[in-house]
Amino acid sequence: MMHRFISVRRLFSETKCSLPCQLRRRCFSQVARNEIDNRDDLVRKMPPFDYSPPPYTGPSADEILSKRKEYLSPSMFYFYTKPLNIVDGRMQYLFDDKGRRYLDAFGGIATVCCGHCHPDVVEAIVNQTKRLQHSTVLYLNHAIADFAEALANKLPGNLKVVFFTNSGTEANELAMMIARLYTGCHDIISLRNAYHGNAAATMGATAQSNWKFNVVQSGVHHALNPDPYRGVFGSDGEKYAKDVQDLIQFGTSGNVAGFVSEAIQGVGGIIELAPGYLPAVYSTIKKAGGLCIADEVQAGFARTGSHFWGFENHGVVPDIVTMAKGIGNGIPLGAVVTTPEIAEVLTRRSYFNTFGGNPVCTSGGLAVLKVIEKEKLQENAFVVGTSLKERLTALKNKYDLIGDVRGRGLMLGVELVTDQKVKTPAKLETIHVMDQMKELGVLVGKGGFYGNVFRITPPLCFTKEDADFLVDAMDYTMEKM
Amino acid sequence: MAMMLQRKLLRRTFGEGKAILNFNSNPVLSPCTSFSTVTSAAATPFHNAPRQLPPFDYQPKPYNGPSADQILEKRKKFLGPSLFYYYQKPLNIVEGKMQYLYDENGRRYLDAFAGIVTVSCGHCHPEVLNAITEQNKLLQHATTIYLHHAIADFAEALASKMPGNLKVVYFVNSGSEANELAMLMARLYSGNLGMISLRNAYHGGSSSTIGLTALNTWKYPIPEGEIHHVINPDPFRGVFGSDATRYAKDVQDHIEYGTSGKVAGFIAETIQGVGGAVELAPGYLKQVYDIVHKAGGVCIADEVQTGFGRTGSHYWGFETQGVIPDIVTMAKGIGNGLPLGAVVTTPEIANVMAQKIQFNTFGGNPVCSAGGLAVLRVIDKEKRQAHCADVGSHLIGRLRSLQDKHDIIGDVRGRGLMVGVELVTDRKEKTPAKAKTAILFENMRELGVLLGKGGLHGNVFRIKPPMCFTKDDADYLVDALDYAMSKL
Repeated sequence: MMHRFISVRRLFSETKCSLPCQLRRRCFSQVARNEIDNRDDLVRKMPPFDYSPPPYTGPSADEILSKRKEYLSPSMFYFYTKPLNIVDGRMQYLFDDKGRRYLDAFGGIATVCCGHCHPDVVEAIVNQTKRLQHSTVLYLNHAIADFAEALANKLPGNLKVVFFTNSGTEANELAMMIARLYTGCHDIISLRNAYHGNAAATMGATAQSNWKFNVVQSGVHHALNPDPYRGVFGSDGEKYAKDVQDLIQFGTSGNVAGFVSEAIQGVGGIIELAPGYLPAVYSTIKKAGGLCIADEVQAGFARTGSHFWGFENHGVVPDIVTMAKGIGNGIPLGAVVTTPEIAEVLTRRSYFNTFGGNPVCTSGGLAVLKVIEKEKLQENAFVVGTSLKERLTALKNKYDLIGDVRGRGLMLGVELVTDQKVKTPAKLETIHVMDQMKELGVLVGKGGFYGNVFRITPPLCFTKEDADFLVDAMDYTMEKM
Repeated sequence: MAMMLQRKLLRRTFGEGKAILNFNSNPVLSPCTSFSTVTSAAATPFHNAPRQLPPFDYQPKPYNGPSADQILEKRKKFLGPSLFYYYQKPLNIVEGKMQYLYDENGRRYLDAFAGIVTVSCGHCHPEVLNAITEQNKLLQHATTIYLHHAIADFAEALASKMPGNLKVVYFVNSGSEANELAMLMARLYSGNLGMISLRNAYHGGSSSTIGLTALNTWKYPIPEGEIHHVINPDPFRGVFGSDATRYAKDVQDHIEYGTSGKVAGFIAETIQGVGGAVELAPGYLKQVYDIVHKAGGVCIADEVQTGFGRTGSHYWGFETQGVIPDIVTMAKGIGNGLPLGAVVTTPEIANVMAQKIQFNTFGGNPVCSAGGLAVLRVIDKEKRQAHCADVGSHLIGRLRSLQDKHDIIGDVRGRGLMVGVELVTDRKEKTPAKAKTAILFENMRELGVLLGKGGLHGNVFRIKPPMCFTKDDADYLVDALDYAMSKL
């Protein structure tokens, strides 16, 4: 019977899924009438999608894994006990080497914002690649200028000078250097549990031991994390802000280079900074002569739904904004935006980035901004995200395993605990649920210092049906535990 | 048809461009007589000016985008005052094909700089383009948390190009990122702090690589950590000429007096790029590698510019010095312009990195990996390395003849298609001829040749074209340079 079930499923994934829902349900009901019924119902509810990937004839998962072990970093990890060989992507779905479709609820780590292989973005990239891929900013090209202008127009205040880099790490490195040069100070404050990158200065700002190597990382002070769920002051933003004041008064000369934080911590497990925190801290930092850096690598580009930028949710205007990931829907691109006054520091010497601002990446970036606007992705993130969060919250009320549901728009987190009072991280359970959900066709992400938080950061074209499917899959899995 | 159009364009441009030059490019309309009337006053005999670029059967698309002035205005407003550009009247480059670039008017230029030694196969090389396009349609990005064959295949192919036990590959997005990672590896593996780099080196623009970079133009006043900048083994300007042993002794001294006696590592480009195509004195690396290993350090070869067959005689720059590094970094030419970089090291050193998580979101993405693999294949299939040796030796030969003719050329150096021409006002003092270099630089652009510039004093022409550059292109370049120098 399982055999018949599989062949029916393959039929649907190979054809264009043009059968109406009712008909498909009838076919299924013939096939599975026992306990596996629920699971079939669940798979059936994966929203239909009119696309079939081309057949895959490349190396198998085992072959790839073998080469990875031999030729790539020994610390390179992968998700799942049996890792997925992902070969194709379309909008909010991914396909493995057998053509099986999965709901991508992680978005290549909050990176694919418009959707995998979104036609407008692919067209912009391919057309530009055919014309001129690379020449550097030593010569003029309109693509970089047009994109810089469009990007600057999305930012408030006097934030309108753009520096293009190739990654979030490069962007944060540049931001930290600019702050240090502008103020003449070296001390920077970041939050415990933050992630800002993996190069020398950004490793210092990153504050989770898993990511910090035993090398010299100077000049960064790590403040108490304003974590509403685990933090000692709950949601009292101003109480946490006092810690920053203390760090400055006791740990520095009294003047600092700046402060850097994500509006919602990504790698740290989708932790929203306690309300009232950022305005209080920004004020403190300004008094100490420092600059405020907003790391929008994950929260930016409409992901939070209510606003375009994460920092807008907190009612502040930073001095420097860094971005990457979603900015290009997956193309290697990052950016730093600041004011003309602050940007001026780099004129003291020459700063140059060979690949940064190349025609292809900037054309792609401009296409992304246009898609976000045209397809009203911010609104979608708000509507779908709100509904998804509500359903997840209902799930939290049903299962003791769920300690917290948090986030905004399509940047959501679900923290699993074995004890609601003590909040003991449910690490093994998290791995199990994640694996089971993958079997059901849903790919989520993982994060948090203890690895017990599901990160749900899908492409922003995620629908309400997708959201329902995700929650049903999680519900089903937890019920069976 | 294309050639006639080019000739018309050239004629129109040169006819209008009275500012610097005045010559007629059409061979039919008696160039010789007009040249001799113009130049008889110059008192230097010279051949005819190069008439036109070597023929090229390609028509660029018509350009309907913003003009140079409009772009420049937006750049000033949205890209900041620190963003610089070449030429008094900057060029609006809108299209590229193999070793040529096209401006907004459809005028063709010989690209002798390859987007700073980056476009290795050629602008919009069909095979690389195809690989990129096809992969873009399938899957652009998913990260290494899932498997994908492209990164594995590319890593394998890259590793197979490496000697010794260099076979673990880390993919990043730029040369700066690669050198940052290499420095981290050196410090972790050795347990020591001090890094050694050469004066006149360029290794990146991020806050840590700025420490390794040793040219004040690029160094912001920020803390660098423990970095020792040793005497540059520069055969042309160095105090010890080409005596590698005496330069190597300086490294020994730095270690003995300036460090605990133990160092983290040493990094060098085999031919300094930004520093002005300076080739390290022969035999230098062998001796230094030995010294550094004895002090517990690792040796890093920065192949960002010299890699992938560019030097002609070898695939990797470090091979020209007969050494095997512990870590190799690369970028630029690796992807023909794709934002891609890599670090290759031994399993032994890589294991040290396994203590913690090291992750790069974009690094090794399917598109860049597919593009990178296509680049490796093109270089092999089209025998680019041999081609660089062939064309390069011809180019250097002709430039050396030019050196005999023009006093302003202080030095011609390099290998394959990584060549430098240093200009001086006085051959004995070797005073950098900054102003004249700037003038010639502009003149060459008017003649249709885009060079690069380097050296601390900006008096070195860097000639590092896409590796499909031909002998005819080389001849055109030298003839143009000859002409421009004669007009000075």
